[in-house]
Amino acid sequence: MLKSRKTVIVAVALALTTFGFVGSGLASASAPTTLVIGSQVAPPGLDPTSNASAAIDEVFDYNVYQHLYQLNPKGQLVPTLATSYTLSPNGLTYTFKLRSGVQFSNGDAFTAKNVVFSLNRAADPANGYPYQSLVSDVASVTAPSDTTAVVTLTHADSQFLYNLAAYSNGVILDPNAVSTIATQPVGTGPFTFVSMVPNYDIVLAGSPTFWGTPPAMRQIIWQYFANPTTMDSALQSGQIQVIDNLNSPSNVSAFKGNSAFQIIAGPTNGKIDLTVNNSKGPLKSLKVRQALYYALNRPAILKTVGAGYGTVISSDQVPGDPWYTPSVNSTYAYNPTKAKALLKAAGYPHGFTLTLSVPPYSYATEAAPLVQAMFAAVGVKVIIKPISWPLWISNVFLGSQNYQLTIIDQVEARDIPEYGDCSYYFNYAGCKAVNQMINAANQATSDAAMVTGYKAVVKKINADVANFWLYNPDQLTVAAKDVIGLPSGGLTESFNMQYLARSGTLSPSLIAQGFLN
Amino acid sequence: MSKGRGWFVVRRLGVVLSSLVAASMLVFVFLNVLPGSPAEVILGTQSTPASVAALTIQLGLNKPIWRQYLDWMGGLVNGNFGVSYISGQSIGHEIHQALLVTGPLVLLAMLIGLVIGVPLGLTGALYKGRWLGSVVGGLSQIGIAIPSVVAGILLTVGLSIKLHLFPSSGFPGWQDPWGSLRALVLPAFALGVVEGAILARYIRAAVMEQLRSDYLRTARSKGLRRSQALRRHGLRVAAIPVVTVLGLEIASLIVGAIVVENIFALPGVGMMLLNAVNNRDLIVVQDIAMVVVTAVLLINTLVDLSYQWLDPRLRGRR
Repeated sequence: MLKSRKTVIVAVALALTTFGFVGSGLASASAPTTLVIGSQVAPPGLDPTSNASAAIDEVFDYNVYQHLYQLNPKGQLVPTLATSYTLSPNGLTYTFKLRSGVQFSNGDAFTAKNVVFSLNRAADPANGYPYQSLVSDVASVTAPSDTTAVVTLTHADSQFLYNLAAYSNGVILDPNAVSTIATQPVGTGPFTFVSMVPNYDIVLAGSPTFWGTPPAMRQIIWQYFANPTTMDSALQSGQIQVIDNLNSPSNVSAFKGNSAFQIIAGPTNGKIDLTVNNSKGPLKSLKVRQALYYALNRPAILKTVGAGYGTVISSDQVPGDPWYTPSVNSTYAYNPTKAKALLKAAGYPHGFTLTLSVPPYSYATEAAPLVQAMFAAVGVKVIIKPISWPLWISNVFLGSQNYQLTIIDQVEARDIPEYGDCSYYFNYAGCKAVNQMINAANQATSDAAMVTGYKAVVKKINADVANFWLYNPDQLTVAAKDVIGLPSGGLTESFNMQYLARSGTLSPSLIAQGFLN
Repeated sequence: MSKGRGWFVVRRLGVVLSSLVAASMLVFVFLNVLPGSPAEVILGTQSTPASVAALTIQLGLNKPIWRQYLDWMGGLVNGNFGVSYISGQSIGHEIHQALLVTGPLVLLAMLIGLVIGVPLGLTGALYKGRWLGSVVGGLSQIGIAIPSVVAGILLTVGLSIKLHLFPSSGFPGWQDPWGSLRALVLPAFALGVVEGAILARYIRAAVMEQLRSDYLRTARSKGLRRSQALRRHGLRVAAIPVVTVLGLEIASLIVGAIVVENIFALPGVGMMLLNAVNNRDLIVVQDIAMVVVTAVLLINTLVDLSYQWLDPRLRGRR
């Protein structure tokens, strides 16, 4: 018996050394046409039209599925499956000229019929598109010819084309492939879906039927790491070449000053908000909200939580917005003395207690104790209450909206119309007025008038302190030095991989669009 | 006698089956009182009361709870694990893929635990009171004290980042058998070291108890050396408590796999479970819970059956 046990020990020891030494010789060196991108949140599925998860859009939007118009990394519209469009003078009818010679990855041809099918599918509430409300103003879609599609709206909407380009409701689908959309994505994009191991990886390959210049990377693997330290080690040891975004910006110190890596900090559409329930207790009072906003040292929060990567904001706006008004951001600068005076004037000389519901995201859990300390300094006690994400949606965002303060990154682009939605969880008293202002701005026929209209909203919600906007975080991409073609920021839901390469140089036109050389 | 043994097996299977049914009800009820709905998680910050209500109907979550339970159990009995609410993928296929990672990981960890625990435990017992015995005792104390998280991180830093012997994370899939085994070595060590230390202490205690027993003294008095007496008579008896602990430890290895798979980014059952709970993908959680319950029940049954083989005195009893 002891003898056989000895044999086992020897066999195991031998086996281990074999894996260790011989195995390392077998490890495949990454070929220059393959790239592995690491990311923290694994997509819960493959279908961007049935799930709002940003992780699905990041991989599949623009890369596998395409839109008529798409956004470049600078947030500008670029004709994609359409080559041009005209808008009728009353702002109701868009006529798109479509690209010819485009095929889906299954070989089906792309025509105007696909546009009709896809937009009707998106607009029908029964299909449960996460961004259905953004296309609810589509009255009809027709295909007068194979290369012409006409979209008619019920009312003028200056944001229509942007929304169609920015969100997954604009993806063009093949009706023959939608029945298997959950397991076998089919699009017209530069990449096709190969395989997925749930919560682990997604493999894409360059599409043989792609209409444009074939991407230099013939295989791109997205690998998911629930543990950020593991992901950092994987980049350091060369197992992956890119981290799409460091969710904990302070981890950037592991790569800073190391010439083997490039660090790309670019703007996003995110607004990290200390969200206020305007209908709860002392927070109903404008003076109280003003006082607490003055009590927040937002540059210090950005420095600690965001490692300084981002922009302090004082309204629902980011530098990429057409109506961005930088002067607004200098309002409510940190001033605890003024905060105390305002609290006294509001009738709270001895302060009060607030509950802060904190979802399990690193920015929220890191910012919460800072907020607690800053409010304590002006006499307001904060109780921190951790809350799971499903509960956050059930109890804070929907339903009873039973919260006073919460911290969340409002990631959607140009989401300022939410302040005009009276059922939204801010419970903002000025919602009706804002709604009218936004409707008027959307129906403006000139861009200048539209921008002026939105600027007025930016200023109104700032004056009303409808929320405690903290900062607009940057996307922090870290990559091996040789990777080119990375997007310069996070202004799109998609992480555009079309121009990624590991040698050569990018054309000046791509560099002008915000792809990095 | 053989009839008695057959009856024992049949009775055990009956207990296993009724335990499974009870477990399925508990799992189902506990998960369904968990706050937060799959529809809300799918829609995220795009949820509106109307869109959530529509999706709830689409997912079949508006059906009465007993109906949902019967639908789920009916599927399981027919070997159909269902389709994930969240991903729309076949759950049976996903669990199968995940088991191909977690199964080998747990077995390898158990093997490593035995390889460490058996010699350490025997040495500890035989050299009790001498310096070697004390060293072994100290080592197993340290092993128990190290959480597998820490062991995992230490192993990664030492063997993968510094020496490049093993990959720090990831799993290439079994189409690459060498690569897959290499990927499992470090995580299995992280799990197995702790198990080995625990086993070593049980083995040491069990063997020491036998060394003090009357029958071993008798065996030695008829001329056997201590090691001979132990090998021929003592080890088999000492194995009984050890096998019990081994059975229990497999269950704790499965739990430990959740942590270790997270650190090493392995696409196993633990990772799948964690994500499914976070996404409120209830059917996936229920299915995995049932797979784990089944595995633990079967292992316990095997442990019970092994007593009869190890201890002839039990064979006549029921």
